[in-house]
Amino acid sequence: MPTITIDDTPYQVPDGATVLQACQMARVRVPYYCYHPGLSIAGNCRICLVEIDGNAKLQISCNTRVTDGMNVRTTTHKVQQGQREVLEFLLVNHPLDCPVCDQAGECELQNYYLEFGAYDPKFNEAKVHKPKAVPISQKIMLDAERCILCSRCVRFCDEITKTGELAIFNRGDHAEIGIHPQKTLDENQYAGNVVDVCPVGALTDRDFRFQCRVWYLGTQDSICPGCAQGCNIQVHYNKEREWRPHIADGRRIMRLRPRYNAEVNQWWMCDAGRYGFRFVDEQRLLRPRLRAGGELKEIDWSQAIHLATESLHARLAQGHREGIAIIASTHLTNEDLFLVKRLFCDTLQVPLVTADLPLVPGDHDAFLIKADKSPNTRGAQALGLMGAAGQLTGEQILRRIQQGRWRLLWVFGHDLSARCDEALVRHVVANTDLVIFQGPNHHRFAEAAHLVLPSTTFVEKDGTLTNWQGRVQRIRPVVPPLGESRGEWDVLQAIGQSLGLTTDFQTSEQVFSSLAEQVPAFRDLSYQTIGRQGALLHTR
Amino acid sequence: MTELVLSARFQKPDSHRITTYLHDEGYQAARHVLETLTPEEVIAEVTRSNLRGLGGAGFPTGKKWSFVPTETTKPKFLVVNADEGEPGTFKDRYLLERDPHRVIEGILIAAYAIGAHKCYVYIRGEYDVPLARFRQAVEEAAQYGFVGPRVFGRPFALDIVIHRGAGAYICGEETALLSSLEGYKGFPKLKPPFPAVEGLFHCPTIVNNVETLACLTTIFAKGAAWFAQLSGTPRSGGTRLFSLSGHIEKPGLYEAPQSVTLRQLIYDYAGGVRDGRQLKAVIPGGISAKILTADEIDVPMDFDALQQAGTMAGSAGVIVMDGTTCMVKALWIATKFFAHESCGQCSPCREGTGWIHKIVTRLVAGHGRPQDLEVLLRTAGAMEGRTICVFADAAAWPVQSYITKFREEFESHIQTGRCALDALVGA
Amino acid sequence: MLESQAREITRRYEEKHAAMLPLLQLVQEQQGYITPDGEQWVAEQIGTSLAHVREVVSFYTLLRTQPVGKYHIQVCSNMSCWLRGCDAIIQYVETKLGIRVGETTPDGKFTLSTVECLCACELAPMVQLNDRYIGPLTRETVDHMLAECR
Repeated sequence: MPTITIDDTPYQVPDGATVLQACQMARVRVPYYCYHPGLSIAGNCRICLVEIDGNAKLQISCNTRVTDGMNVRTTTHKVQQGQREVLEFLLVNHPLDCPVCDQAGECELQNYYLEFGAYDPKFNEAKVHKPKAVPISQKIMLDAERCILCSRCVRFCDEITKTGELAIFNRGDHAEIGIHPQKTLDENQYAGNVVDVCPVGALTDRDFRFQCRVWYLGTQDSICPGCAQGCNIQVHYNKEREWRPHIADGRRIMRLRPRYNAEVNQWWMCDAGRYGFRFVDEQRLLRPRLRAGGELKEIDWSQAIHLATESLHARLAQGHREGIAIIASTHLTNEDLFLVKRLFCDTLQVPLVTADLPLVPGDHDAFLIKADKSPNTRGAQALGLMGAAGQLTGEQILRRIQQGRWRLLWVFGHDLSARCDEALVRHVVANTDLVIFQGPNHHRFAEAAHLVLPSTTFVEKDGTLTNWQGRVQRIRPVVPPLGESRGEWDVLQAIGQSLGLTTDFQTSEQVFSSLAEQVPAFRDLSYQTIGRQGALLHTR
Repeated sequence: MTELVLSARFQKPDSHRITTYLHDEGYQAARHVLETLTPEEVIAEVTRSNLRGLGGAGFPTGKKWSFVPTETTKPKFLVVNADEGEPGTFKDRYLLERDPHRVIEGILIAAYAIGAHKCYVYIRGEYDVPLARFRQAVEEAAQYGFVGPRVFGRPFALDIVIHRGAGAYICGEETALLSSLEGYKGFPKLKPPFPAVEGLFHCPTIVNNVETLACLTTIFAKGAAWFAQLSGTPRSGGTRLFSLSGHIEKPGLYEAPQSVTLRQLIYDYAGGVRDGRQLKAVIPGGISAKILTADEIDVPMDFDALQQAGTMAGSAGVIVMDGTTCMVKALWIATKFFAHESCGQCSPCREGTGWIHKIVTRLVAGHGRPQDLEVLLRTAGAMEGRTICVFADAAAWPVQSYITKFREEFESHIQTGRCALDALVGA
Repeated sequence: MLESQAREITRRYEEKHAAMLPLLQLVQEQQGYITPDGEQWVAEQIGTSLAHVREVVSFYTLLRTQPVGKYHIQVCSNMSCWLRGCDAIIQYVETKLGIRVGETTPDGKFTLSTVECLCACELAPMVQLNDRYIGPLTRETVDHMLAECR
């Protein structure tokens, strides 16, 4: 490994690293725009200048490989002057419309100006004008004046999605980023990533546009629940909501951003996941409900739990295990599914328990988008709730229910009317004495159920999900539960404790520890080993 | 006066036909090279000749060729830079139109030296007539077996493909030329890697100027030593084709040894300033070269002397300005050119060339401000050494030299809002 | 016919993408300018996106997205031509044709443009008329040049 000095301090750096990468490893601040670790080197912003002994001119650190004995300086007067002058060039034709620009607060022009600039600007001519507020897709807005032509977005479309929608037209200071006039970015299912890579406010999210200033945002690490890929994300929420309820009509979650994970999604996520989070704030079930005598009325949790417990007790006491079916969901966390198993399979020995339903129809590709639009199928399989020999699927269960009078059907999360034959589902509901629905959102099946138990969503839960690779990854609570919604394992434990369930977990971590002891695939895993990048299941 | 090497055939009728060429040197030097010398020997001889790149950079040609790796499985390419674009220069046009076979013979020798079997000739898009002439010459050479699968009947293949440019000065920069040839915009590439190692299609590539290649025939016909001494200077070999234009009595191409002085070129070769007027300023090496005043013209026109004099030999495009020339307007012409031709890839050049031209436009219009000259000099300086290619440096040099050497004229424009020469010239 | 020409062109290069400029030039020769269909065709031939063809077209001065008149008068406006009086020539041509720089005569015969250095400085002031260099220009030679344009 070559040894170099940066500002008189020696560092050992990997062979083949660039000086910029070495500075990053050494936590030495060098500004840059066009460099991105997931994209090719462009070397066009010219701001990552450093002094390297043996070179009269400043060098760009992003395209200079380290050599043993190299002497790098990042804070000399020459370097600082170079940085200032490059920054001044970048801002020559910039519209400086921070007051109306969403990027304010997370803009690298602002940040670097304060850190490396603070010069007295000398430009005093008419600026070049370019198109502003151009929608280049349903989700992306382009402002060509704010663009510093770093070409990250162009390289993303060329190198990652290989679709080439973005290009730089014209020469000189009339150069501008754009799409072909007859095209949009709508067909690119990863287009949202160009907003992430854009260091300035040239490419912004129309979804997030003017919704919330970024300095009001809090952040928490989580996992996207949109499909089995389990892309690592950050959830950005309005932490000022209590004092500024007018922001974004009081929505709590503002946006999702991908979080780096070398094994899962690198720096990227798909648009369906990125923009598909509104369900956490919209159409939520807030209180338990009971449909009785043609009337729908809200009840409290103690009543709801009592009802559920009594119904189960009654049917089991009569020996009607066969008249009970549980259709769990692969959207549930490992912890939730563990309690499903502990309560219904182990304690109550209900034979018909499954998490197996047909896949929701949708796209899939060779990159991040998986056909399975749920995040925890591997978890359900590892816990024995689907895929085992002789185990019935949810559809098979529904057909069996259709054949005669049924006692109790407990469905987690799914809008069965959308997933299976709608007529079949109507028949099933009519045929069943008690249909319990436990899930987060309103939908047709929730309306049809007799007893509705409101659940929390992934941003209100602590727990783990297992992606298609068998990687167990942690979701974390971002905001408190909305209304009176409660996590599934918590409710099941409350119900189960009157029915012989012997667990007494206080936290998700305790649930997981117990799970890891009892289920071989999860052996030796813990929240510590899972950390923020996940850990793999044991497979035979 | 001078023994003509490069322009010997320019005045001959049908100088571009192979029959004329065969009558004179007729591909004998190339044949001699392919039949009796190894590529290493060829490179050594060219190095000894002190031949330097005549497109403008003046890099020793033999040394450039030696950078091509000998151990490689990749094909090697020779690329001819016929994208002549430096304002004030027209030498390559004459060579392509009037002595294309001399250029083709040079291509043969160069390709053999570096082990290339494919040569792309990138000709600027506006050169319709030179392209037609050159294409005809390549066809003639192929008919005679000087180009094709078996050159001179030997197991050496050489294919020449002519590639037409589409109007962009920056494509004269060798890596921008390669980008353009590959079908992209003419964006210069980051270096390293250098083209000799990783150039066209990521393969080892040598880019040589037309005039540089045209020298090779003589080097191998008359020997490196003879060629070296022809220049009259110790570190450059041969003669050069000097393009004289502007306020000169006899605009045209003049071949002279590189030791010729600017004064001799203007007054002895090209008839002096037009109509016997007073010389005011001279650009010695194409528009990028820093300007010289009338009392700085005793400088020899070789690469090293001109560099020492604070300017450059460049493309040997000499533009003469007499006393009627307004230096502010002249700078406006130069800055207009650079702003128009900046490729826009990197920030200092893209923004700097536009900014500078806007300020100079104000100066010409009579709306100059007292701080403008400082801003111009500072901005020009801020572009230098910060960019992917030297276009930005070239754009900075006229700004720095015109203002420094003719400061009073600029200050007068700012103070009075008018050009003092208007009254004198009277249109 | 265009297809066989395209194949012949593409075959010359080690990588298909290098056929970009010659194919665009072929389209322009055939259609007078780069039409949207032409762009699409080139994109398909070399296997790249429309945006990347459009950006190449927008970069190079000689590639146009509008037709020009039968005679395209391109007056050089760089240093040597300026020193030898191109401003007066431009004004004269504008007056004679009744159009400004950048415009085309109503009968579609002449388009007038200014361009940067054509590297024919010994002929200053000069123009490129379609594919010919003409210079040095005086009012008389301009008259003669225009008269020859049928």
